[in-house]
Amino acid sequence: MRGKEAVRGAFQQARAEGRAALILYWPLGYPDLETSIAVVVALARAGADALELGVPFSDPLADGPTIQRATHRALQQGVRTPAVLEAVARIRGAGVRQALCLMTYVNPVLAWGPSAFMEAARRAGADGLILPDVPLEESAPFRAAAEAAGLAWVPLAAPTTPDPRLRALAATATGFLYLVSVTGITGVRERLPEEVVAHLRRARRAAEGVPVAVGFGISRPEQVAALAREADGIVIGSALIQQGEACGFDREAPQAFVADLRRAAVRTSASPRCAAPSWESDPET
Amino acid sequence: MVEGAGLRLIPPPALARAGYFGPYGGRFVPETVIPTLEELEAAFWEALADPSFLAEFERLLRTFQSVIGAEARAQALEAMGQLPEVAVACVGGGSNAIGLFAAFLEDPVELVGVEAGGEGIPGGRHAARFADPVRGRPGVLHGSHTMVLQDPWGQILETHSISAGLDYPAVGPEHAWLRDRGRVRYTAVTDAEALAAFQALARLEGILPALESAHAVAEAMRIARERPGVTILINLSGRGDKDVETVAKALGEALG
Repeated sequence: MRGKEAVRGAFQQARAEGRAALILYWPLGYPDLETSIAVVVALARAGADALELGVPFSDPLADGPTIQRATHRALQQGVRTPAVLEAVARIRGAGVRQALCLMTYVNPVLAWGPSAFMEAARRAGADGLILPDVPLEESAPFRAAAEAAGLAWVPLAAPTTPDPRLRALAATATGFLYLVSVTGITGVRERLPEEVVAHLRRARRAAEGVPVAVGFGISRPEQVAALAREADGIVIGSALIQQGEACGFDREAPQAFVADLRRAAVRTSASPRCAAPSWESDPET
Repeated sequence: MVEGAGLRLIPPPALARAGYFGPYGGRFVPETVIPTLEELEAAFWEALADPSFLAEFERLLRTFQSVIGAEARAQALEAMGQLPEVAVACVGGGSNAIGLFAAFLEDPVELVGVEAGGEGIPGGRHAARFADPVRGRPGVLHGSHTMVLQDPWGQILETHSISAGLDYPAVGPEHAWLRDRGRVRYTAVTDAEALAAFQALARLEGILPALESAHAVAEAMRIARERPGVTILINLSGRGDKDVETVAKALGEALG
């Protein structure tokens, strides 16, 4: 099971276990290529349901200071698309079976050629693709190339996205709908706006069964716990990088943090139940 | 001290020592005006997140920018009784140039856009998207599909120009389109040529052009040498007061 089935499968399995899927982000090539491979493998073993792997880009307009700094350092060391895809293949070689979604920006994909890039990504072992700077109106050729290559397409929506557009975006999502929690960039936030839950409910209604994952700014188990009741999946990025930096990228270091996040992602019985999405053939009992 | 606004305000040493001047280099006006401007700037960046503000902002920019061309065209007709044979503008992002060109697109006027050639095309220390056939390729930066300076893997390259306003790795997509159509010719002028043009205009006309605009002046001087008698309209898109420090440094001169 690979490609979009692997991505959807990650959500199905987490849901069957009464959890929001935990999607962990790491920029490949940071702090260097070897260490990034080891960290991703460690994150997978620590309990990620899926992994979002950053492909460094020089002008990462959706990313905040933490990820910008990390991807900039990867680029300074000469990490480019071929090295990134080789890293993906090596992560697979290390036995990582979770869904892997590449997150980059449109220009590196255009430079390689969308079809060639996506086929190479799929061959390396990627399952999905996230391109935050491709708007809905321009996405058709990229979605067609992803479909042909067998990659899941993951569109992004913002808190300000109106319902009709949410529906249109979700209709293109062969992986999941990535709901950005704030009008802003990635990065740890002390407080998430209270409206995030309302945005999530609205997005999940509009998505009509397509899984909705929420990301940007989520860093703490309490935040995960608060969102787990409403989200199909939760993306953690900058907080992992900060934790890695604090621990010298020790492979054992993420285990406790990821375990905490995973515990927090469990939906408590007292929490309101999410409506069973239509993509799920075997609803939670 | 006000950096980046070009000239620093330098307090007399005695007063500076006495702590007479505030952190912005003034006693009253800069201290009052600059924090307000900073507030305005913060509010601008905040408002920029609102799509309706952005749409209105872009509409205003386009309208205001086109005034350059409308006025230049009217002034040329008044001053010369005819349209210029050539119109020249520098091209960073390309707003002053598109404002000028827009008024002449349907006229028999040769339009020339001038990119920053920096230290020359071969070494890559420039901001010439059109003039560099290796690094300048179609791509997407900041939401526009246009010509972009990039490496083979689509990473955007660092650019260089003596003029901050031309120092940008992409170019307004309308310029890429005009170039593809063959309607506008794009060329590049080096830092050294722009500096020479800056000095020439200062000495001969008493006009300090912005270093950006000095690129257009340099190209116009080149055209004039090759085709004596040709009528050329130059878009002097900015004034050079802001650049005197940069120019002094480049010429190895100390400012008093």
